[in-house]
Amino acid sequence: MGHLSGERLYEIFARQKRADRLEHIGTVSAPNPELARVYAWKTYDEATWFEMVVAPRDAFCAVNRDEVPFTLHPVETV
Amino acid sequence: MSLVRTDSFKSADELSNPVREALAATLLSLADNKRILGMRYGEWILGAPTLESGIACSAMAQDEWGHGRILYATLKDFGLDPGVLEHDRPAEEYLSSELLDSAVEEWPDLLALNLLFDAALSVQVEALTNSNYEPIHFKTRKLLEEERFHFEHGRGWALRLSETATGREALEAAFRKAMGPSLRWFGRSEAGFGQLLQAAGVSAGTADSLRQVWLDRVVPVLAEAGLEELATEFEANAELDWSDWDADRRRGGSGGPDAETLARIRGDKNRSMLMD
Repeated sequence: MGHLSGERLYEIFARQKRADRLEHIGTVSAPNPELARVYAWKTYDEATWFEMVVAPRDAFCAVNRDEVPFTLHPVETV
Repeated sequence: MSLVRTDSFKSADELSNPVREALAATLLSLADNKRILGMRYGEWILGAPTLESGIACSAMAQDEWGHGRILYATLKDFGLDPGVLEHDRPAEEYLSSELLDSAVEEWPDLLALNLLFDAALSVQVEALTNSNYEPIHFKTRKLLEEERFHFEHGRGWALRLSETATGREALEAAFRKAMGPSLRWFGRSEAGFGQLLQAAGVSAGTADSLRQVWLDRVVPVLAEAGLEELATEFEANAELDWSDWDADRRRGGSGGPDAETLARIRGDKNRSMLMD
């Protein structure tokens, strides 16, 4: 995903039924929350979602590990 | 107590002639504008500033084409053949805005179509949601759900571009061109299709009241994007220039979609492959 200057990565969570748990389904890069919402909804449209939410990746706090969340490689920083 | 509304219309045949004609023209104008707007969104799938906005353009294009399809189909009830409407009309019979006549060259111009003109179409569709003309009821809900995101896309990009002076100037220039045509699309204040449809309970607003709904929606976004002057100018200035207004086609000027646009929206190239 493109990560231009002035953009943040947003993590997307969604569930298909009210009884489901929210699951992490993907990521978008966006300059503001308004566009993050649109991009998330229009990009991850493979299911009829009961609920979808987005949050900036940098809003997540690591709990038990030192590296920032959502990184595949421990050395990588975003 | 009866749940049946005595003033409701189950088919176009039950409408008076002038109301039937005004509603057919409104539905056709919505369909034509959405068909071409979809193509304009589609033209930016590869040229949009980011991958995500390209995907959004692709989704908005599909939405608009879907809306166009649904709206053309509603015209069957008015004795019109959707096949002819979609594939067999000359440019001068399209009820599409002058804003859509040719391809959009710059991203801010696409955003003007996205935030301003697309929203004008949505305001009219909303006004049909509780129409006395019942066949339209089930067509509007999904359409308006999708349009919510079109407006947010326009708003998000307006906010983004307004972060820099260059972006704000480009936005203002593009929006200035689209304000008049978007405001005029609702029609003239004096007796016209808007008044007819409102009086018959077919549409929730007159030309003026729908224009105001549109302004109430768009002006706060212009203000958020630092375009207060533009907002004030059009809000305060109710005097629109109607000199080149064609009331029948709901557009400025006598033109129409250019040759390339026409060939693509009608599907001329693949006509021989139409199976029905």
